[in-house]
Amino acid sequence: MPTDTTPKEIGEISFGLMDPEEYREMSATKVITADTYDDDGFPIDMGLMDPRLGVIDPGLECKTCGQHSGACNGHFGHIELAAPVIHVGFTKLIRRLLRGTCRDCSRLLLTEEQKAEFTEQLTQTRELGEELGDVTKAAIRQARKNDHCPYCGGEQFDIQHEKPTTYYEIQEVLTNEYPQMIAAAMQGRSEDEDDDEEREPVSPQELADSTDLDLARINEILSGEFRPREEDRTAIEKALDVDLTVEDTNKLMPSDIRDWFEDIPDEDIEVLGIDSERSRPEWMILTVLPVPPVTARPSITLDNGQRSEDDLTHKLVDIIRINQRFMENREAGAPQLIIEDLWELLQYHVTTFMDNEISGTPPARHRSGRPLKTLSQRLKGKDGRFRGSLSGKRVNFSARTVISPDPTLSLNEVGVPERVAAEMTQTMRVNEGTVEEARRYVANGPDDHPGANYVRRPDGRRLKVTEKNCEELSEKVEVGWEVNRHLVDGDIVIFNRQPSLHRMSMMAHEVVVMPHKTFRLNTVVCPPYNADFDGDEMNMHALQNEEARAEARVLMRVQEQILSPRFGENIVGAIQDHISGTYLLTHENPRFNETQALDLLRATRVDELPEPDGQDDDEPYWTGRTIFSELLPDDLNMEFTSSAGDTVVIENGQVVEGTIDEDAVGAFGGEIVDTIAKVHGKTRGRIFINEVSSLAMRSIMHFGFSIAIDDETIPEEARRQIQEAIEQAYDQVETLIETYEAGELESLPGRTVDETLEMKIMQRLGKARDSAGDIAEDHLDDDNPAVIMAESGARGSMLNLTQMAACVGQQSMSGERVNRGYQGRTLSHYEPGDLSPEAHGFVESSYTEGLQPREFFFHAMGGRQGLVDTAVRTSKSGYLQRRLINALSELETQYDGTVRDTSDTIVQFEFGEDGTSPVQVSSSVDNEIDVDAIADRVMDAEFDDEDEKRAFLGERRRATNLSEHTDARRVSSDD
Amino acid sequence: MVDVSQHKLVPEHSVVDEDVLEGILDEYDIKRTDLPKIKRGDPALPDDADTGDVITVVRDSRTTDRAVAYRLVVD
Repeated sequence: MPTDTTPKEIGEISFGLMDPEEYREMSATKVITADTYDDDGFPIDMGLMDPRLGVIDPGLECKTCGQHSGACNGHFGHIELAAPVIHVGFTKLIRRLLRGTCRDCSRLLLTEEQKAEFTEQLTQTRELGEELGDVTKAAIRQARKNDHCPYCGGEQFDIQHEKPTTYYEIQEVLTNEYPQMIAAAMQGRSEDEDDDEEREPVSPQELADSTDLDLARINEILSGEFRPREEDRTAIEKALDVDLTVEDTNKLMPSDIRDWFEDIPDEDIEVLGIDSERSRPEWMILTVLPVPPVTARPSITLDNGQRSEDDLTHKLVDIIRINQRFMENREAGAPQLIIEDLWELLQYHVTTFMDNEISGTPPARHRSGRPLKTLSQRLKGKDGRFRGSLSGKRVNFSARTVISPDPTLSLNEVGVPERVAAEMTQTMRVNEGTVEEARRYVANGPDDHPGANYVRRPDGRRLKVTEKNCEELSEKVEVGWEVNRHLVDGDIVIFNRQPSLHRMSMMAHEVVVMPHKTFRLNTVVCPPYNADFDGDEMNMHALQNEEARAEARVLMRVQEQILSPRFGENIVGAIQDHISGTYLLTHENPRFNETQALDLLRATRVDELPEPDGQDDDEPYWTGRTIFSELLPDDLNMEFTSSAGDTVVIENGQVVEGTIDEDAVGAFGGEIVDTIAKVHGKTRGRIFINEVSSLAMRSIMHFGFSIAIDDETIPEEARRQIQEAIEQAYDQVETLIETYEAGELESLPGRTVDETLEMKIMQRLGKARDSAGDIAEDHLDDDNPAVIMAESGARGSMLNLTQMAACVGQQSMSGERVNRGYQGRTLSHYEPGDLSPEAHGFVESSYTEGLQPREFFFHAMGGRQGLVDTAVRTSKSGYLQRRLINALSELETQYDGTVRDTSDTIVQFEFGEDGTSPVQVSSSVDNEIDVDAIADRVMDAEFDDEDEKRAFLGERRRATNLSEHTDARRVSSDD
Repeated sequence: MVDVSQHKLVPEHSVVDEDVLEGILDEYDIKRTDLPKIKRGDPALPDDADTGDVITVVRDSRTTDRAVAYRLVVD
C-alpha cells in the first residue's frame, strides 16, 4: 500500500473570499491560448491542456510535480482577465455593499454609535450560535436610510440591481426642458395642463430675490444658456414648487465597483459580519480567473481517435477567446460601445462558467444544443458531488441477490452463494502460521471455491491468480505476501436490506458458503430486516480490514442486536409457523414416545432426554412442555400471561403450565426470549432462539398444519343463527331510520341528527358483525388451524376469521359508511335517500360464501381506498422519518453523559433524562433492575471467600465466544 | 389569565443563582451561551427571570424521579 494514502485529519476549514494574488501564486501557468492540442496531438504550452496543469494520459509525467497520472492531483492555472467581471455567486452581497456604503468615500453609512451597536449585536448572535444574516440585513437597512454620508456628507443614490450582474445608480438630474418648466411655473401655470389650480405668477426679479441668484443668471437660465447648478436648482425648485429633475440610470461598471469596494475600511466591513483578515469585498470582482486542473476536466478520446473536451474546457475556451478579443479591441482603440459589448460578453461567459442555470440568462449550450454542465451544476442536485458522490458512493466488495429462507442456519449466519464467495475476497497477510494455508488457497485458483483471486508480493506488485499460473504461483507464496482469498465459512460480512430505517437494518453475519444463487437466512431475522421471501433482494458487504471485522463481530452481529433500542425488547424471535409449532407442542401438552421426543429435539444441543413424565401402556412418554423446557436455562423462573390467555409458569427452567406462543417466544417482545437475552446474555439468547425455531419446525411437521376453504365453513345451524342476528340488526336499523325520518331522533351532544343516525347505524352493524363472529367462533373447533394461528398470535386475527366464516361487515370509506356515487345514492340500484345498510356498503356475506355483486363493488371500493391510504401513509412517514434522522444524525452521547451536537451544544443534560440505555433496562415497569443486588449475587455465587473475589476483581476477563466456526477456517486441500 | 406555571404538566422553572451556575458550567465545561435557550416571553418562566439568566427545569421522571435541565433566557 502506498504510504502517502494515510488518512489525514482535517483540523479546520475556513471559508472566505480568495485574494487574486493567491490565485496567481498557486497558478502553475498563465493560460493565454484558447487552443488545446496542436496538429501532432501534443498539448500547447500556455494552452488549456498545458502539461503543467497535470496529466491525464497514462505514462506522461506532470511538468509541475513530476508525478504520473493518478498520483498527480493536477494544478491550477490562471487567466488574467482583460477587465474585471462580477462573480455571480456574490451578486446579493455586492448589492448590499453598494447600498450600504458611501459612493464617494466608501464608508459604511452608519454613525459610530450605530456601528458599535450592530457590532455588539453581531458578537451576541455569534455567541448564541444563531444566524448572523438577520443582524447584517438590519445594519444595511439602517444604512440605506441615510441619504447623505455621515462622514463626507456626499449625497447617496439608489442602487438598482438588474439580475444577474448589472448594477445601476439612479440619480436625479436636471431635465433638459428646465427653461420651459421654469417659465411655465413663473407664469402660474401648473406642470399639468389640466390642473386648474391657480398659482401666483412670479416675476424674474422675485425669483432672483427668493433664490439669492443674480437677475442676469435667472435670465440666462430661462433662455437655456446656463444649466443651474445643484444648489441653484434646489433653490429654484423650492421657490417655484416644481420638480425639475428626471431619473437618470447610470450603469456601474465592474471596475467602478471594484474601485468603490477597495476604499471600504476594514472596520466597516466587520460590522457587516465579514472577516476583513480573510475577505476583502473587492475580491468579489474578479480580475484573475483560476483555471481548474486538467484532471478536473479530462478530455476523452473517442473511438475514431478524435478528442472530445469536457464542458468546462469548452467554457474556458470561450472565456479566453473573448478575453483576447477584448484586449485587441481596446489596444486598437475601438469605440466605447464595442468595448462595452465585449465586456458584457466576457461577463456572460465567466458567469455561465460558474453557474449555467441562472434565471434570466440563456444557458450556454453545447454545439448539440445541450446546456453545458459547469461548476455549479457539478455540485448541485441529486447526482451532484454532494448527494451523488460524497453522501452516496458505490462500493466494491458488495453483492446483491434474492433472499430465501433456510431454517437450518443459525440466526448469526448467512448463506452465501459460491459464485458470490468466489468474487468477494478477504486479504490475508501471510505469516509463518498461515503460509501453508495461503498456498492452498492460491493453488485452488480463482474458479474453484476456496481459492484466491490476487496475490501481492512484498515489493507491492499485484499479480492476478489465473487457472494457468495458480500452481506455479502457489509455490512462490512466502511469508510477507498478501493473498486475496475467497470468502469461507466463518468470515464476517455485513448484510443489509433497504430501506435501512433502524440500526438493525444492517447486521453482521457469519458466512456459510452454499450452492445455488440466493442469499439464505434464518427466518427469525426477518423482523429486524422487515424481510420476506416474495422476491426481496438484500445486499452483502465484505469487510476489508481487521479493525472493521472486529467491530462488526463485536458490535454488529445479529445476536448483539436481539434487543431493539426502539422498544427495549427483543426484535429477533419466533414468527409465524414457529409460533404455531410451539403452540401445538405446549397448548394441550401432548405426549410423545421416545422416538418422537428425540426427533423433535434433533436439531438442538439436547442429546439426552430427561426423566419421562410417565408411562403409557408400559412405554415411557414425554410431554410437549417437558420437551420445550429442555431448551430453557435451568435457573429460569417467570410467570406471565400468554396470547392464548392462560398463565405460563416457569419454575427452575421447567414449564409447569401454560401455552408457549407469541407472548413467550415471539419477535417484538416475547417474554422468555427477552428475559434470556437480558439475564443470561446474548449468546444464550441466540442459542435459545435458534433452538426454539428448530424445535418448532420439527413440532409443526410432526403434527402437520394446513388450511383450506372447508376449515372456514360453518354448519347450516350456525349460518342460520348468523342470518338471524343480521336480520335483527337490520330491523333495529330500520327502526332507527324511521325515528329519524319522523324527526324524533335525539342528537348526541356535539353532533347533528344526521351524524347521530350514521353513528348509531354503524354501531349497530358493527355489533351485528361481532355477534356473527362470535357465533362462528362457537362453531369452529379449537384445533381449527386458522383458530390456532389467531389464538397463538402466529398470523391473522379473530376478525379475519369472522370475515372468512361469518360476515365481512361494513365497508368504510374514510371512516364512514359508503356515501359517494350518485346524487343521494351510492348506486343506481337504490332509491335516492335510501339509508338502509345494504345501500351503504354493508356486506352480510362471508368470504367463504362469496359476495353478491353489489357487495363486491362496495368491497372493492373499500379495498382500493385501503391500498391508496397505505401508499400515501408510507411515503409520508418515510419523509418524516428521513427528516428526523437528518436532524438527529449528528447528536452523540458524550462520556459525561450529555447529548451534544457537532458544535458541542448540549441537547440533553443526561441521555434520555436518566442516562440509561433502553435495551439494558427491565421491560416491566414494576420490576426495576437492582444493579448492586445483581453484582453481589453474581460475586457471591462465583467465589467462596473474599480473597478470591478480590483477586478476581484485579483482573477481569470475559469469554469472547466470537465465532460459531472456530474450526471452519481450515481449507481442505483439493487432493 | 391562566397561569400555566400552576398547570400540572408544566414542570418547575426557577432561576439559577450565579454562584451555583458557575459550578454547573464548570461541570459540563461549557459557556453560558452553549446552554439550550428559552424565550424571554415563555409563559412558563418565573416573573423574576430576565434575559441572560439561566433557568433550571426540574421534571418528574419515570426512571430517575427527577430530571434536571438548564436553559438560558434569550430575547
